[in-house]
Amino acid sequence: MTDLQNAGRYYWHYLKKYWFGFLVTIVLISISTACIVIAPTYLGRAIEELTQYLQLWTNPATRPQDSFGAFHTTLWIYLALYLGDASSIFISSLVLARITAYSTGTMRVGLFRKMQRMQVRYFDAHSDGDILARYTSDLDNIFNALNQALIEIFLSVAQFIGLLIVMFAQNVTMALVTMASTPVALVIAAYVMKKAGTAVNRQQDDIGQLNGYINEQITGQKMIITNGLQQDSVKGFTRYNDRVRSSALSGQIWSGILNPLMQGMSLLNTAIVIFFGSWLALNGSLSTGAALALVVVFVNYAQQYYQPIMSLTSLYGMIQLAITGARRVDEVRNQPDEVNPADGLPLNGIQHDVQIKDVHFSYNPGKEILHGVSITLHKGEMVALVGPTGSGKTTVMNLLNRFYDVDSGAITIDGTDIRRFDLHALRANVGIVLQDPQLFTGTIADNIRYGDPTAAMDRVIDAAQQANIHDFIMSLPQQYETTVSDEQNIFSAGQKQLMSIARTILTNPALLILDEATSNVDTVTEANIQAAMDNVMQGRTSFVIAHRLKTILNADKIVVLKDGTIIEQGNHHELLEENGFYAELYHNQMVFE
Amino acid sequence: MKTLLPYIRRYQKDAWLATLAVVALVFATLWQPRLLQTVMDAILRNDKTTVWQEGIMLIALALLGIAAGIVNTVYSARVALGVATDLRADLYRKVQTFAYADVEKFSASNLVVRMTNDINQVQQIVMAGFQQVSRIPLLFAGAFILAMMTMPEQWWVLLMMMAIIVIVSLFSFQRMGKYFAQTQQDIENVNTIARENLMGIRVVKSFVQEPNEIKKFSRASDRLTDVTAKIGYLFAILMPVFFLTANLAIVLSVYLVGQSITAHPAYLAAIVSFTSYLMQILFAVINGGFMMTFASRAIISLGRIGAVMNTTPSMTYVPANDDIQVNGDIAFEHVTFTYPGDEKPTLQDVSFSIHSGDMLGIVGATGSGKTTLALLIARLFDPDSGVVKIGGIDVRQLPEKTLRDTIAYVLQRSALFSGTIAGNLKQVQPDATLPQMKWAANVAQAAEFIDRLPQTYNAPVEERSSNFSGGQKQRLTITRGVIADPKILILDDATSALDARSEKLVQEALDRELKKTTTIVIAEKIASILRADKILVLDHGRIVGSGTHHELVRNNAVYQEIYQTQKAREEGLA
Repeated sequence: MTDLQNAGRYYWHYLKKYWFGFLVTIVLISISTACIVIAPTYLGRAIEELTQYLQLWTNPATRPQDSFGAFHTTLWIYLALYLGDASSIFISSLVLARITAYSTGTMRVGLFRKMQRMQVRYFDAHSDGDILARYTSDLDNIFNALNQALIEIFLSVAQFIGLLIVMFAQNVTMALVTMASTPVALVIAAYVMKKAGTAVNRQQDDIGQLNGYINEQITGQKMIITNGLQQDSVKGFTRYNDRVRSSALSGQIWSGILNPLMQGMSLLNTAIVIFFGSWLALNGSLSTGAALALVVVFVNYAQQYYQPIMSLTSLYGMIQLAITGARRVDEVRNQPDEVNPADGLPLNGIQHDVQIKDVHFSYNPGKEILHGVSITLHKGEMVALVGPTGSGKTTVMNLLNRFYDVDSGAITIDGTDIRRFDLHALRANVGIVLQDPQLFTGTIADNIRYGDPTAAMDRVIDAAQQANIHDFIMSLPQQYETTVSDEQNIFSAGQKQLMSIARTILTNPALLILDEATSNVDTVTEANIQAAMDNVMQGRTSFVIAHRLKTILNADKIVVLKDGTIIEQGNHHELLEENGFYAELYHNQMVFE
Repeated sequence: MKTLLPYIRRYQKDAWLATLAVVALVFATLWQPRLLQTVMDAILRNDKTTVWQEGIMLIALALLGIAAGIVNTVYSARVALGVATDLRADLYRKVQTFAYADVEKFSASNLVVRMTNDINQVQQIVMAGFQQVSRIPLLFAGAFILAMMTMPEQWWVLLMMMAIIVIVSLFSFQRMGKYFAQTQQDIENVNTIARENLMGIRVVKSFVQEPNEIKKFSRASDRLTDVTAKIGYLFAILMPVFFLTANLAIVLSVYLVGQSITAHPAYLAAIVSFTSYLMQILFAVINGGFMMTFASRAIISLGRIGAVMNTTPSMTYVPANDDIQVNGDIAFEHVTFTYPGDEKPTLQDVSFSIHSGDMLGIVGATGSGKTTLALLIARLFDPDSGVVKIGGIDVRQLPEKTLRDTIAYVLQRSALFSGTIAGNLKQVQPDATLPQMKWAANVAQAAEFIDRLPQTYNAPVEERSSNFSGGQKQRLTITRGVIADPKILILDDATSALDARSEKLVQEALDRELKKTTTIVIAEKIASILRADKILVLDHGRIVGSGTHHELVRNNAVYQEIYQTQKAREEGLA
């Protein structure tokens, strides 16, 4: 139920400004429905008039007064009704197509805008695939529902109501006959849909397991081949595949049978109406013409009668998906934004120092990661953070440019809490080189000037030179205009890292944070990257998160973190003399003669 | 279609029943107006007996329609599921005969898509095929013929209606095709930007580029929105035009009936059935159009499945032969190897040999060919030229089973399969006993944490072994590697997540417990291969140095460069 409420709130938010369009649509659809349900009566009347004409004509006495006048008028009205139907459907479809396209467009951009404002916490807690699915399948489901279901629902409901009104106006007995089979049809539909629900769930579970198995096995194919496990793998597969065979069969049958059943019910209903209608015609007090007309009109209604029920049941799945989709997108919309102080202070470089003061931090309440960490970094100094995986090194980086905020304690720049600075000013002063050098689609030049899109070419080249990547770029056929995209992997991890370093150099940040590249590159490439990093750090205040100690031997200060606490602090020599954790780490990593 | 037909033939009986049911269903649908005409005629003549008879017929016909609908669904589903599961099974078996190069050629994720999504597409189209596709032409032809039989004079009304519908469809489907292609492109652009921003959210935020990214995304999204709206407008025209055309035809034919009513009084009763047939023709054309777009997707899927089925495995093995026994000697003789699709060879003129029970270390920069060399030993690829020998025999002359039993390959980023630890070990050594498992785990330094698990060797392993840490994963895969006491053990960067102490313990245990096993260690860390009997230094696919650590440190430039970056530098510090 809350799903429905959330979805309702979501659609209301995005659709309310189209109220006029919806109003027009509803009016037009009412008109079209009126035309459609009234039209058959004119077909009936035309037949009735023809019958009369024929009767008058057959009798020589009445033949002279016979005329087509009434018949032709009826046909003109009949024609006008269909024109009215077609034009009102056309205009309302046009309006709805516009609303659907533009409202989904607004939703898409809205989702993206929201994403840009959201806290990093959300992205860390959700997989990329899961968030991306909100752009693809969820928005798609919403679009499909708006595009098809919306007009169908309007139409079906209007048609059903209109049909009931007209039928009862025409002939109460026949209207009741036409409706007689409805309870049976509804019971069948409800039963089949319930069956289909469970059968399809079971089918999806089994298919999910099968797909999981296939994925695991085929991705591990090297392992299967090197161990000669192909037969085993097929055996396992067959088990899952056979399970899918039986469960998907019932899923397919139950979900596929509703439509033919309803079509069959429609046939049966028409037969019943014909049967009763003709019985009524022959045993009632109606004239032949009127009786014929009655049968014709109600046959028409009987054929139309099941259409709304059929479209609504076939839309059921689509609507279900759209509700889920709206819930999932709405969930993002309700995430907290990043906190940017209302009158944030400006920040122009570092004058004295950056201090981390007794910082406690936890990603999840109750599971503290940093237990009172204090580090002081003077202007122009390089401080290295080392420690085993999970010690909290990366967490410190996350706090420095406020991807996350501290639980208690504070981080200050020249004595001012970083939470008091304008968020964007703070980040403009803090440059980060990440472990995984994410580049963006565009040219190399675009990527290097990413932080300052207006930067002139000579600044781009200068940054590339400092990052030791200029020569490589010049060796490419299109040089700085070479396109970077995720499809073409023409750059190695090391080259991408160098480009990301150039990108950071160009923005000339006051405080630099380097999260070192690790095992993706070999030690020789690493030495190259190291040289580029040394260039960047020249004369800058910097924090280095080190994975290989080789790179930080020259640091002014090395801070050893373990389990969220600083256990050792000092320069390389001091720490080696201490002969503690750092010394052991160092001996483990290095080769000794 | 060539891919699909043999599978449908396996379910011939079901397929025929489904088709028969379709015929019955179409008959019921089309015959009803016919009976209605007779009834109307009877009302005109005040003929009660006929009305009764035909009334009963009508109900019987409707019941036939319902029954036919059910039978059709059930048997269509049987064919669809049968075809899909069989096709998937054959596809899977086929892939299991692939050489590694074949898997690489398609890429693993691509093969998975073919076995899941593509098969699903095929299943849907087969289902729809037996439910709808056969029905549409039948309905169309049936309705057309019956309409002509009902009022032969009005043939031109029918033709005119169809001509208008076909012309309008052709015109709009052509435009729509263009727009749909445009949509695909726009969707891709939008998704690319979204994905990049997701993966690089920290970059975007730290460079304060949110406004620019929003601008970029809005531009791409607006283009998509505009095309979507255009498609919507086209559809908004299309449907009313179709129905209006059919309704105009109806009005016209009623008018014509009126004009000639004195010549053909019987047509009075035929109007309703004639209009019903007109509507059936219209529905058949519309559904046919939808089916066509639907089918085109399935045909692409079928093509992709066919491509896998028609691939001949690029590697064959000599028949199994228990007489062939090999030891752990390995020799490369002038081996050159190029990856399919590459221009430059990855390995060039590589020659070396190593004796049973020795340890071989391989070092070199990323991309120097270390892993490729190991892959050739395990015959995941065959060399372009030169020979790889195990126990003095060309690996191409060894039966698959012999080869696999001889070599255990522990991969760089391999994981156990989901199941249990014991299950994974038994895959390699089906009759492994608990003491054997314990022995292997001890060698791999895995025993200490396995023993602490509540279910020890029966502990569950999740997908991608995600319930174990990096170091534990590596120790588990080494356990799996040694359980069968192989003659050759390849450790491809298999200890990178282990600390120096554990790594040393593993190596000592290998020395002690697997004395006869030839061990090949590929590593980034020189420390991992210090103890090797022989170290190969690879650079751009060539062996540029070979010898022990002490020899190489003295006389090999490439080795020295690598060593320099890892050597402890006590002297010369600031």
